[in-house]
Amino acid sequence: MSNDHDGTTRPDGAQAVVELTGVHKEFGDAKALDGIDLRIHAGEAVAVMGPSGCGKSTLLNMVAGLDRPTAGTVRVQGQDLGGLNETGLALFRRRSVGMIFQFFNLIDDLPALDNVALAAQLTGTTARQARRRALELLDELGVAHRKDVYPAALSGGERQRVAVARALMNRPALLLADEPTGALDSRSGEQVMDLLIDLNQIGQTLLIVTHDPDLATRCASRLVEMADGKVARERALEPRS
Amino acid sequence: MSGGAVWRASRAAVKRRKLQTFVIGLVVLCSTTTVLLALAVISAARAPFDQAFDAQRGAHVVAAFDPAKATAEQLAATAHRPGVEAADGPFPQAVVRMPVDWLGRPPGPLTLVGRTDLAGGPVDRPELLAGHWATGPGEVVINQPFKGYPDNALGKPLPGVPGLTVVGFASTMSESAGGWVTPDEARALHPGGLQMLYRFTDADSEQRLTAGLDAATEGLPKDALTSGQSYLKLKQAFSAGADAFLPIMTVFGTLGLLVAVLIVGNVVSGAVVSGYRHIGVLKSIGFTPRQVVVVYLTMVSVPAVIGTVLGTAAGWALAGPILKMAFSGIMTGTAVIEPAGWLPAATLLAVPLLVALAAFVPASRAHRLSATEAISAGSAPRAGRGLKVQRWLSGTRLPRAVSLGLGQPFARPARSALTMSAIVLGVVTVTVTTGLSSTLVRAVGPNGGTGSATYVHVQTGHFAGNKVAAPKLTPEQTEAMLHATPGAERVSTRGLAEANVAGFNQPVYIDFYGGDEATQKLHVVQGRGATGPGEAQVGPAFLDQHGLKLGDRITVDLEGRQQSLTIVGEELEGNVRAITTSDATRALFTQDRHVVEYYVRLAAGADADAYIKAVKDADPSLVADVATVDMTAPVVSIIAFSTVFTILLSIVAALGVFNTVLLNIRERRRDLGMLKSIGMTPRQVVAMTVTSVAWLGVLSGIIGIPAGILAHRLITENVRIMAFPESMIDVWGAPLLAGLACAGVAIAVLGALVPARSASRLTIAEVLRNE
Repeated sequence: MSNDHDGTTRPDGAQAVVELTGVHKEFGDAKALDGIDLRIHAGEAVAVMGPSGCGKSTLLNMVAGLDRPTAGTVRVQGQDLGGLNETGLALFRRRSVGMIFQFFNLIDDLPALDNVALAAQLTGTTARQARRRALELLDELGVAHRKDVYPAALSGGERQRVAVARALMNRPALLLADEPTGALDSRSGEQVMDLLIDLNQIGQTLLIVTHDPDLATRCASRLVEMADGKVARERALEPRS
Repeated sequence: MSGGAVWRASRAAVKRRKLQTFVIGLVVLCSTTTVLLALAVISAARAPFDQAFDAQRGAHVVAAFDPAKATAEQLAATAHRPGVEAADGPFPQAVVRMPVDWLGRPPGPLTLVGRTDLAGGPVDRPELLAGHWATGPGEVVINQPFKGYPDNALGKPLPGVPGLTVVGFASTMSESAGGWVTPDEARALHPGGLQMLYRFTDADSEQRLTAGLDAATEGLPKDALTSGQSYLKLKQAFSAGADAFLPIMTVFGTLGLLVAVLIVGNVVSGAVVSGYRHIGVLKSIGFTPRQVVVVYLTMVSVPAVIGTVLGTAAGWALAGPILKMAFSGIMTGTAVIEPAGWLPAATLLAVPLLVALAAFVPASRAHRLSATEAISAGSAPRAGRGLKVQRWLSGTRLPRAVSLGLGQPFARPARSALTMSAIVLGVVTVTVTTGLSSTLVRAVGPNGGTGSATYVHVQTGHFAGNKVAAPKLTPEQTEAMLHATPGAERVSTRGLAEANVAGFNQPVYIDFYGGDEATQKLHVVQGRGATGPGEAQVGPAFLDQHGLKLGDRITVDLEGRQQSLTIVGEELEGNVRAITTSDATRALFTQDRHVVEYYVRLAAGADADAYIKAVKDADPSLVADVATVDMTAPVVSIIAFSTVFTILLSIVAALGVFNTVLLNIRERRRDLGMLKSIGMTPRQVVAMTVTSVAWLGVLSGIIGIPAGILAHRLITENVRIMAFPESMIDVWGAPLLAGLACAGVAIAVLGALVPARSASRLTIAEVLRNE
C-alpha cells in the first residue's frame, strides 16, 4: 500500500504508525493541545520535549488511547482511536502499544516475573506460556536473575527494565515512554537509554516524552519541541554513532 | 489549637466521605430501630403488669374456701398470720350461669363476689371504667379484662341472669372475679364459697407463694381451701404474647448491633488508613494526637448520632403497632401497654457510645502515627501481604482478572475479615427469615389457607357484637338453611362455651367444632385431632402453664356437668385459656348445640355475593362475609418484621461491601490505572473487583447458612406460644439451601457492582498523572 499523497508512507516505504491530525485537548478552559499534527513512521524514534505544562504528556496519552482528544483524529496503525469504545481502546493498548512510566507503575504484590507476565495473561495466554516469554524478556534485558524479586527490593534501573519488559510483552508496534529516566540515577538512566537505543535499532518504533535533552539526542532520530500545546519545532537529529 | 479547628477538620472529613457517612448513618439507624423494638417488647412484657398490679395493690393469691369447712371468723384470722403483708375478706362468692353469649363472651359461669370496699380495700382495688360500683340490690359491676367496654350495656339486665342489672364496668389485675355485687346480693345468690385476698411479704416465686398460703391457712380444716390463684400465673399469661416475639427480637437485635459495630469499625478503620496523608497533614500543622483522634471520632459520631435519633424515632413509632399485635387477645386489664419511657433516652445514649467504642480502636492508630510516617505512608497497602497466595494464583489457569481479584483480599486481611463478617451476618439474617417464613407458611398452610375454594364465614349476631333482633332460626335450622341455600357444598360449625377446669383458677373457653369439615378444623401438630367423645386438644401455652402433656386428663365443668377429657393433640398455637374439641365431646355435657360461627365452603363457580344475600334474607341476625386467609396477627407480624429487617440488614451488609470495595479502589487507583494502560478491559476490571468480594460472599454462605439454620432452630423451639413440629422446623431442602448459598454472593456482588463499574471507567491518564 502506498499513500505518498497523504503522507502515511514515507518515500523510503515506512508506514506511518502514528498520525495525529488537528488534535485539540482542553481541560476546562485550559488548552493542553492546540491543533497538533504529527506522524511517526515505523522504526522511528521520536522524542517530544518542552517545558512543563506544554502538553507533551497529554500528547502521549492521546497516542496511547489513555485519553481522548476534544477535537481532531488520532490514528495508530491506521486505526482511528476516536471510533473505539473503552473496551476497544483497552484491546488496542493491549495489542498495539507498550508503555513505560517515570515511576515504573509495577504492582507491588507481584514479583518481577509475574509483573511482566501479567500483560500477556490479560490476553488469555496461559500462565506457563506468559512466564516463559516474560523470562526471555527479562533475560534479554539483563534482569532474569531478579525474576522472583518484588518491586520494593529492586533498584530503580531494575524496576524500569522490568517495566520495559512488561511493555514489550505483547510485541507492540509502538513503545511509549513518559520520562523513562526521570526517576533514575544517572547510571541507571544510562542503562535505560542504552536499552531504548537497542530496541529502536532492532526496529521498535519509539515515542519518548522527556525533559532530558541527553535522552532525546541519544535515543531519538527526530525531535519534536512543544510549547503551549503546539508543535513549536520539529527536526531530525544526527544519526547515533 | 482551638476546638473550632477540630470541628472544622471533622466537618471537612465528613464532607469528603459523604458515602461512608451515609453508610454509618443507615446502619446505626437500622440497628437502633431493632434494639429499641426488642427492648420495648421486653419492657412491655414485664413492667406494665407490675405497675398496674402494684397500683391496685393486687392480690398475690386469690383464695377460695369452702364455707362448710371454714368459718368467716377463721378466715379473717388468717390475715394476721406471719408472712401475710395484707389481706381482705372473706367475701361471699357465688357463681351464676350466663346461658347465651354476650358482648363476645361465650355462655358459661360467671363468678360474682360480694364486696363493698372495692375502691379502697387493703388488697385488690379494681379500677372503675364506667358507671358506678354496686351499692344496692340487683346491681352488678362486670369485670372487663380486655381493652374497652360497651357503653350501651350499662343499665341493661345481665343476659340470662334474672334480677341483675349492669351498673358498671371495672377491671382488676388480680382477676379476682367476673363481677361484683353487694355482699347482701351475693348472699342472695347462694354463694358456694368465701374469697380471701392475700398479699405476702415474700411473693417472688410459686414456691414462696405456696409457703405463704400454707402458713396463712395453717390450722384450717384440710379441704377448706378449694382454689388458690397465683398472680405469677396471671403475669405469665400477660406476657405470653410478647414472649413469642422475644427470641426473634433478641436474635435480630443482636445481629443488628453486631453488624453496626462491624461496619462502623470497618468504615472508620478504612477512613483512617485511607486518610494517612490527611492525618499527617493535620499533625504537621499542629493538631495533637488527641485532637486527631477527636477528629476521627467526631467524623463517625455525626452520622451515628443522626442515625440513632432517626432510629429511635422509627423504633418508637413502630413499637406501638408491634406491641398492639404482641398483646392482642391478652387480658391486659388496666395495664398500659406502651414501651418504657426511659428507652429512647437509653438508646440515644448507648448506641452512639457503642459506635464511638467501635471507632476508637482504629482511630487510636491515628493517635500513634507520627506526622512523617503518615505523610510518607501514601495510600497504597503495604506490600508483602498474602504474597504467596497471589503468586500461586498468578500461576493458575484462571482468567488473570479473576485470579487478581481473588488475591486482593489478602492485601488487607483485617478489612476483608470485617467485610466478610458483615456478609456472614447478612446471610444469617436472610437464612433465619427464609426459615421462619417457610416454617410459618407451612404452619398456616393446613388450616389457615382456604385453597382455591371460596368460604363464607357466618357469625351469629350476638357473637359478632351486632345490635340486631333475636335470631329467627335455631342452630339446627341455621345449619340446614346454610346447606340448602344454593351454592353451599360443605358447612362446618363452631360452638363456644366458658367452663371451669378442676384445679385451675380461671375459667377456660371451649371451642366445639362440628359439621362437614370438623376434622380439618381440629388440626394438630402433635398427637391427633380431638374428634372423638371425651377428647380435647390445646395449644402449647396451655400445656406449658398448666404443666400438662399429651395423654393427660383434665376434668371440665360445663354448666354443672363434669366430664373427664383426655388431651390427645397439641395445636400449633392457642390461647392459654382455650380448649378445642368436637361436637361429639359437647354431647357429653349438653344437648344444646349453641353455635357462634359457621364456615360454608361454596361449590366451584358459586356466586358468593348471592349466597351471602340469601343467608341474610333467611335470618337478618346473621353476619356473613367471604372468609379471608386466617393468618394470625403474630404470624403476620413475625413475617413482616423479619422480612423488613432482613431487607434492611442485607442493604447494610451490601453497603459495608460497597465501602470496602470503594476503599480498595481508592488505594489501588495506581494499580488500576497501570492495569488498564496495559490493556485490561472495563469488563475485566469489573470482573476483578467483583471477584475480590464475591468469594468472600461464597465463604460467608458456608459459615452463615449453618449459623442461620441454628438461629432459626433456636427461635422456633423457644417461641413458647407456638409449637412447631420437626416437619415445620426442618424446612431446609436442597433448592432452598442453594438459593441461600447465593445470598452471600448476591450481597457481595450488589455491594461491589457500583464501585466496580466506577473503577472500570477510571480515567487512566488522570490516575497515573496524579500518582
